[in-house]
Amino acid sequence: MSIIEKIADLDTFLAYSIALEEEAAERHDELADMLDVHNNPDVAATFRKLAHYSRLHAQEIRDLAQDRKLPVIAPWDFGWESAEGPETGDIGDVSYLMNTAHALQLAMGNEQRAHDFYARISRESRVPEITVMAAEFAAEEKEHLDLLQAWINKTSASIDEAVFDPDPPHMPE
Amino acid sequence: MKQSNAPVPLKPKDYKSAIKPIWCPGCGDFAVLNAITKALAWLQLPLENVALISGIGCSSRIAAYTGVYGFHGVHGRALPLAAGLKAAREDLTVLVAGGDGDGLSIGGNHFIHACRRNMNMTYIIMDNEVYGMTKGQASPTTAPDWAGSKLTPGGTMIRSFKPAALALASGASFIAKAFTGDPNELARILVAAIEHKGFSFVHALSPCPTFRPEQMDWKHHVHAFEAETTSDPVLAIQRLQADDGMGMGIVYQKDLPVFQPGGTSPGTEVAFFENEFAL
Repeated sequence: MSIIEKIADLDTFLAYSIALEEEAAERHDELADMLDVHNNPDVAATFRKLAHYSRLHAQEIRDLAQDRKLPVIAPWDFGWESAEGPETGDIGDVSYLMNTAHALQLAMGNEQRAHDFYARISRESRVPEITVMAAEFAAEEKEHLDLLQAWINKTSASIDEAVFDPDPPHMPE
Repeated sequence: MKQSNAPVPLKPKDYKSAIKPIWCPGCGDFAVLNAITKALAWLQLPLENVALISGIGCSSRIAAYTGVYGFHGVHGRALPLAAGLKAAREDLTVLVAGGDGDGLSIGGNHFIHACRRNMNMTYIIMDNEVYGMTKGQASPTTAPDWAGSKLTPGGTMIRSFKPAALALASGASFIAKAFTGDPNELARILVAAIEHKGFSFVHALSPCPTFRPEQMDWKHHVHAFEAETTSDPVLAIQRLQADDGMGMGIVYQKDLPVFQPGGTSPGTEVAFFENEFAL
């Protein structure tokens, strides 16, 4: 069953949307913790801010859904087309040497996937109220992409910047 | 405002502790932690009814990162610790976790006997095919030609263990293979493993970005087993032998007699145990 078929009603769409945003927030927090532990406070702070924005978005959707009884879906039953939710960054894509520009680039990828997810639902769903709400969410994700791009333009770090660690963890002793 | 007396369901993050993992960024072990917490939240197991026992190594730190009871034990000895706990407290959900070196080399003998004993617990090996905590030596699951360590410059030239096949030959009653790049599928497998009555073994491929960065490519090679779970050990071993090592899913599950010695009730006083050890 395709994800469009799975999202057959508005309650299910809202449950998917909340899961998408909550998982993104938790992943950003997790990445912030990783970078905190590895003494990379700038990137940790960036991920922490991104987690905050994802949580705000999740809360907005929860507010929309507050009078509705949403289905409880097992994490493995969402059937996301990637291993995790579209806005959830891959743990394998981070490094202790990354800079703010790398982090924002990752966030752009996450937001782009979230935008594409909502846009596709909006295009392909046969439920009118879903298509309308998905289009609104896609537009919000587009705003996030624009904000991220502005953030990237302002940051002094560059994705081409090579960071040298004179004592890398894999250095045999 | 109307108030509900219904308990608030536990979420995955409720099963995490406040301690930040010190694993390397990108480590697959983060996904195991997430999958465990998702599985526990799905089962809504009260935190005080779950114990996570581990050995020594990067992955064995996981016991500290959950909010359930934990015991970060001795190298290779997580399984006997867990067996002792389960023998005394049958009511607890006992999870055991550790790495490939801890479980298959230092604790190898405990592993095969835990499989045949079939106590009701779940064992997760987080396999990165390397000793990471000691800076990258070959482990029992390392390919014979891996030459990434100065200790084995031409590789070990020793064939690696196949943990799932070893578990099957040793009598485990639930055997699954999983990949940390798919944490939701890993969570589904863990739920099935925890619900299984007997010793459930989950072999989780967990890439090490620091000492085995080439493993980050595993995500392009893993695939689901085509066949359904079997209770026939002959079919299971054929499937495992024919697999390229990247097949994922629940390979084998069978109802077998569960070993559960006497045990005590959850309310047993400490004095009871003191008497047991009195000289």
